[in-house]
Amino acid sequence: MSSGVASRLGRRRALVGWAFMAPLVAVNALVVLGPSLAAVYFSLTDWSGLGAAHWVGLRNYRELAGDPDFGAALWHNILWTAFFLVVPMAMGLFGAFALTRIRRGRLLLRVVYFVPYIVASVVTSAIWKNLLSPQLGIGKVLHVNVLGNIHLALPAVEIVNNWAWWGFLVVVFLAAMRDVNPHLYEAAALDGAGTFGQFWHVTLPSIRPTFLFLGLMTIIWSFLSFDYVYVLTQGGPAGSTDLLSTLLYRDAFGELRAGYASAIGVVMALISAVVVIGYLAVRKRKDWTV
Amino acid sequence: MTMSRRKFLALSAAAAALPGVAGLAGCGAPDHSAGIGYWSAFASQQQRDYFQRARVDAFPGPGRVELTVKPTASIDQLTQTALAAGTGPDLVQTDGPAQVAAYQAAGYLHSLEDYAHTYQWDRVLAPWALAASRINGQLVSLPADYETMILLYNPATLHEHGWPVPRDGATFEAICTEAKARGMLPVAAGNADWRAASEWWVTMALNHHAGPEAVYQALRGRLPWTDPVFVDAISTLSGYYQAGWWGGSVEDYFTNSFPQMYTALAAGDAAVMITGSWASTEIEPYFGEAAGNTATWDWAPLFPLRAGVPDLVWDLGIGRTLSINAHTDKPDETAAYLNFLESDPRRQAEGVAEVGMQPAPLELTAADFPPGTGDRQVRLYTELSNAATIGYTTWTFFPQQTDTELSTNFDKVFTGLLSPADYLAGLDATFREELRRGAVPTAPAPNGIAS
Repeated sequence: MSSGVASRLGRRRALVGWAFMAPLVAVNALVVLGPSLAAVYFSLTDWSGLGAAHWVGLRNYRELAGDPDFGAALWHNILWTAFFLVVPMAMGLFGAFALTRIRRGRLLLRVVYFVPYIVASVVTSAIWKNLLSPQLGIGKVLHVNVLGNIHLALPAVEIVNNWAWWGFLVVVFLAAMRDVNPHLYEAAALDGAGTFGQFWHVTLPSIRPTFLFLGLMTIIWSFLSFDYVYVLTQGGPAGSTDLLSTLLYRDAFGELRAGYASAIGVVMALISAVVVIGYLAVRKRKDWTV
Repeated sequence: MTMSRRKFLALSAAAAALPGVAGLAGCGAPDHSAGIGYWSAFASQQQRDYFQRARVDAFPGPGRVELTVKPTASIDQLTQTALAAGTGPDLVQTDGPAQVAAYQAAGYLHSLEDYAHTYQWDRVLAPWALAASRINGQLVSLPADYETMILLYNPATLHEHGWPVPRDGATFEAICTEAKARGMLPVAAGNADWRAASEWWVTMALNHHAGPEAVYQALRGRLPWTDPVFVDAISTLSGYYQAGWWGGSVEDYFTNSFPQMYTALAAGDAAVMITGSWASTEIEPYFGEAAGNTATWDWAPLFPLRAGVPDLVWDLGIGRTLSINAHTDKPDETAAYLNFLESDPRRQAEGVAEVGMQPAPLELTAADFPPGTGDRQVRLYTELSNAATIGYTTWTFFPQQTDTELSTNFDKVFTGLLSPADYLAGLDATFREELRRGAVPTAPAPNGIAS
């Protein structure tokens, strides 16, 4: 085949590829890129969400820096992220590893773990709101009002969200663990490794790409959490469960400060971007693949 | 059938583009349907059916009304989005003057000045309500309903404990102290169902402790919100919460729901309840035969919390407003329908009597109500119509950002996260900025006369 023909074929293939991609790129530009650029623009204005927007430069960002509500919400988000990086990840890992060690009932347990994940968050929240009620549920038995306590409300909402979330991690980790070469376990056993040793020295290193990817996504998703907080506490009591997302919602629709809310959104996006860039840099340096 | 790759790609691209094109075609097109478009939300199916029958189907014209029912929780955002897109209903409903100010600033609303003259709305609507509906001197909305803060009580409970209906702060505090000691809820209150409910009680503190004259001067920008008279009011209210009078305890206040509070009042577990007049409808299912008990309820006006405040102050609020969409192609028909909704006292009184709807602020007399209307309802609205001294509900007379901050941050005051002075300093800064922007609704003087 001459180089000219090969070049034409290459161009044709690229063209066909782009033709298939074009609708997706168009939709993406319309519903992702466009609104994203608009959010950056509006974050530099005093837009109320209605009518015209006026340019204010970096004023919204300067105000964010001194806003105690923003500082509190950011701190709550950091606590939220730390919780979800540790508790459900650990539960998911150990749950999945335990499932690899049993044969009977494995499918049933996978379903049981996974079901809370597919229940609508509003439904889950409503159920837990009653369960934690100081008049009706666990709160009455234990004489503690967790959703009314400014120190306990955030951990309580995290636990409710985790109840629905960790089963999903079990299923994903289990899928990754089933791809681990069984000979590695045999070799580890011959070397005297017990169950925990096998988990630590064989399972964890073998599923590292999945583990890291879910860690990355956990950080990103944590900064997008909204539904459980909104239904269970609406950011209360006294702002003790406010996350950046609930603060953004209140600023945009409650106070009609869409420009300021856009600035919060841009900061949230920047945090996620920093996490992704950091992850990609580490992955490249360590030559990890996902 | 065979299809070439080129044809397949062309068809795929066309198919992918179709929804987008269809969507774009709908953008920016006002809702020019055949009838007068009106979006509303209702508290119950009975209210919805009544409204359809008595206020939509009964409209004699010109034109006909197309009512679209939206969820109560999202009607404001749906309307806001539609107006921002240049569409939406012909008759625009908002949740109060603060939102009207934002819509007016955005150019979404049609002026009502000419129609006010044509239909002589100044002769039927209360002066304070028309004054509060003017934004920067321009009438762009009419109040669709109005409300006030009241004290609800179970007469049997007060009688059992030997408590009078409180008429002053000292009596009220004595009842709360005694009720708390007896393990009761002194005041049935909570904000689990509606976080912003805290502003109801801030409204009470401002108007019945600081006094309506001080609030009026502050709303005009003549008195800062950091004045000691407001610091005292907020400190007193915060003290009530910290004493466990509001909802039983600070923690329980955050998880108490309205049904729980109505039930507590009916069961004699709560001494009193301080809430808005809208509760006179919500409370009915918890009392009497419908609830399987023999409990009854009654209401009383709020009382001064300290000496020097007028004995009888009616905190007036506008729950909903109605405006004409600036993009409507039938402003005259919409104005005629607005007049139909607003101008007849008997129609307003019938709505109160039949399904417990809140009336528009017209002067209502006992004769306007149909036979068989409950005495409590007739008394409430006839006394309210004759209000000599008015107070200012925060959701009506405060600008949007100040109002949100007022309710959100008050929760931090009684939980000890923010001092009353710091709370009011923050509020004052936000208010000053909104006052500078002209976003503060017009407040009439405490005698109800526009000034």
